Amino acid sequence: MRAPPVALRRPARGFSTPALLAYLTVIALLALVPQLTHKPSLLHLWIMVFLAISQGAAWNVIGGYTGQYSVGHAAYFGLGAYITMLLLEMHQVPPWYGLGLAMVGAVLLSVIIGAITFRLRGPYFVLASIAVAEIIRLAALDFRDFTRGAEGILLSGIPPLQLGAHLTIRFVGKQPFFYAALALAVLAVSSNWVVQHTKLGYYFQAIREDQDAAHSLGINPTLHKSIALAISAALTAAAGAIFGLYVRFIDPNIVFSLPDVSVQMVLICIIGGIGTILGPVLGAVVLVLLSETLRNPGWLVQVGVLGEDSTLVDFIEQRLSSAHVLVYGVLVVIVILFAPDGLLGVLRKGLDRLRRRPGASAAPRAAA
Amino acid sequence: MIVFFQSLISGILVGGIYALIGIGLTIIFGVMRVINFAHGDLLMLGMYATWLLFKYLGLDPYVALVVTMPLLFLWGALLQKVIINRVLGALPQNQILLTIGLGLIMSNSVMLLFTSDYRILTTSYSSSSFSLLGISISQPLLYSFLVTVAITGVLFWFLQTTDTGQAIRATAQDRDAAQLMGINVKRMSVLAFGLGTALAGTAGALLAPTYYIFPQVGGPFTLKAFVVVVLGGMGSIVGATLGGVLIGVTESMAAVYVGSGLKELVVYVLFLLILLFRPAGLLGKSRA
Amino acid sequence: MTAILEIKHVSKFFGGLSANSDVSFDVEPGSITGLIGPNGAGKTTLFNCITGYYPPSKGDILFKGERMNGRQPDQVCRLGMARTWQKVRPLAKMTVVDNVMVGALLRTHSLRVAREVAMERLEVVKLADKAGALAGGLPIGERKKLEVARVLATRPELLLLDEVMGGLNPAESEEIILLILELKRLGLTQVVIEHDMKAIMRMSDRIVVLNSGEKLAEGTPQEVAHDPEVVAAYLGEAVHA
Repeated sequence: MRAPPVALRRPARGFSTPALLAYLTVIALLALVPQLTHKPSLLHLWIMVFLAISQGAAWNVIGGYTGQYSVGHAAYFGLGAYITMLLLEMHQVPPWYGLGLAMVGAVLLSVIIGAITFRLRGPYFVLASIAVAEIIRLAALDFRDFTRGAEGILLSGIPPLQLGAHLTIRFVGKQPFFYAALALAVLAVSSNWVVQHTKLGYYFQAIREDQDAAHSLGINPTLHKSIALAISAALTAAAGAIFGLYVRFIDPNIVFSLPDVSVQMVLICIIGGIGTILGPVLGAVVLVLLSETLRNPGWLVQVGVLGEDSTLVDFIEQRLSSAHVLVYGVLVVIVILFAPDGLLGVLRKGLDRLRRRPGASAAPRAAA
Repeated sequence: MIVFFQSLISGILVGGIYALIGIGLTIIFGVMRVINFAHGDLLMLGMYATWLLFKYLGLDPYVALVVTMPLLFLWGALLQKVIINRVLGALPQNQILLTIGLGLIMSNSVMLLFTSDYRILTTSYSSSSFSLLGISISQPLLYSFLVTVAITGVLFWFLQTTDTGQAIRATAQDRDAAQLMGINVKRMSVLAFGLGTALAGTAGALLAPTYYIFPQVGGPFTLKAFVVVVLGGMGSIVGATLGGVLIGVTESMAAVYVGSGLKELVVYVLFLLILLFRPAGLLGKSRA
Repeated sequence: MTAILEIKHVSKFFGGLSANSDVSFDVEPGSITGLIGPNGAGKTTLFNCITGYYPPSKGDILFKGERMNGRQPDQVCRLGMARTWQKVRPLAKMTVVDNVMVGALLRTHSLRVAREVAMERLEVVKLADKAGALAGGLPIGERKKLEVARVLATRPELLLLDEVMGGLNPAESEEIILLILELKRLGLTQVVIEHDMKAIMRMSDRIVVLNSGEKLAEGTPQEVAHDPEVVAAYLGEAVHA
């Protein structure tokens, strides 16, 4: 057996001021974006990126940190979208309450799904997670009285949100959704940060590395897997809810989709770098930019990357508009074969090499 | 009563094809311990190959098997040799993701080439049927079933009596021991993936006259293949054969007695119950 | 003094096969008990029963007077009984110190405290200089030490060591022996499965011999070494060589 080299890694610090400052700065800068541009296609791109980050970071909690490769997260995404949309359309419950209820609903569902699937390991867990999500999709298609089936739910409108006496938020245009999606992305990424820097995260990772060993060290694997899944499910449901409100139409084949939701959430993390904070962010940016560009290359012209008369836009529109999933496929295969730590791993390796080069002639670094 | 037998018969006929899909998956799993999530997409390739041969050369889908089977065998062998071989020792999760990726590549390449339009392969006998004691039997489904039986028979003969077949079975039983006994395990893996792909493609070819053909058709069949294989016990060919027929019958019974929209749901619920309570499959020994 | 661990008529069946049958012995606080026997004698199965991985088919296991049957491994560990694994199980993609912290976090919620405890334990097993290395990349000798440091961090009262010297060279084994004796001096009770007869004779206060799942003999190293049944069945050459 070939032993991996003894890599050195600084033990994770509990708190790092520069990192926190950088994080806050990035959030502040992002919050300014809608003030700088009003181009709908650009705002749309950001919203999709934020939602993808939320989904990726949500999956990362259970898949990346805890090592349980759920390929059935569409169950929570769809549930979140359906609870919020149904409450709003049928019972006029404002979506900000609906969103909360959606997250609670997803946690409850996660407890049930966890009880079924956490008894299984490895590939059997993967298969069970798919089966559960498919059962829910098929049920949503079939129980028309409750969900309207394949007809889906079309949103007629969102009531304005009254905050205090002076501030009223009207859900028209893209700006409110930009901030909602940004807030969720921040929440999801922060959840990963918290997980990585607390006892909970140590326990999650111990289970990922070796469940039996973790069990013998005083960790209750079922309890901690359930906690991880609950966090993951709640965030995923919130993403589903915001997605539904934003696109204003959902049906079971969209929000409970195995390839477009469940698989995509895994791909975001795999491509970016699984079990890291920045991995899902990177993966989401890459995947969304690729897929949105192939679907609708017009934004490249709007931003000024390409000229008005660029033939590239025509080419993409005519030939590649449905190829974005193909690109995912190629990316996944390449990442798994050549960069198992994801794009983040590639970046880190590259940075290390750059850093080492100038010092190569100097004294070699101590081994420990 | 007629309705019962009607759905039983059509369940068995469709189940034969499910069995073929399951056998392919179980051979791949048995020999390589890789769970192939691209299995349905290989089936889809078989469908398109059949459709193309029919459309441009006028080849009858059953005759076309002479071309489609070897073609898909080669394709599977190539996939194994070039790509899947590299992850044989990797984490099962990574193997799953790799095959998911390969599936996405296949289905979306086909979509780029042939668009996502639904294609129909209409033969002179596509919608004709026999009538037997008041039960109508779809002609193409019956042909497909007979071909399935023949192929399964040949496969059993091949695995039981030929040297190569025995080597494949030995590898499936214990990879390390097989290697020690001088079996070329790598070659067996290539053979197994080729064989599994050929079987999936054949199932696609057999479905082509009675099914819509479109790039995303494979997904549900991948899932169904897992159900079949888990039902019969991972790696067991006899189990997959029985599992296929059982799932076919369950589906067609559920369509009649529970509702056609719920037939797949019933199958997945059954799948979960088996995963939970008989993880080694109906035929396998349960875990200690 | 009352026993800290009481094994009472424990049997474990798998299907029709018995891996342990009617095994009984006590472990005194502060002592080292050697558990020996040929491969397949049921030593590891007994550990698995004691630590909650399998429920015993028959009999009782009492730790500090409390019945352990049916308790989960994590509860057993929380109560103060911790085990190592014959086949070491490092948390490969975590650093050495993180591995030990996972153990230490059983008794604290603070990562800072856990890190201090972990570094102390790493000092004890002389692995502190590798704290930042990934556990999966350690050579076997250091993996064994890591395994011990990790369970020590859970603050056990009773430690079950499953072949911590297996696969080590004589110098490394000697280090582990000294470590076990040092832990005993600090008051830790230990049950040790080991194949190295010289080591087990030297460390143990009492020795329990298992053969085909049954207890063959029990006593001080001297008594066991001269027990004609043990000599005949198993020890013979190893002791007199």
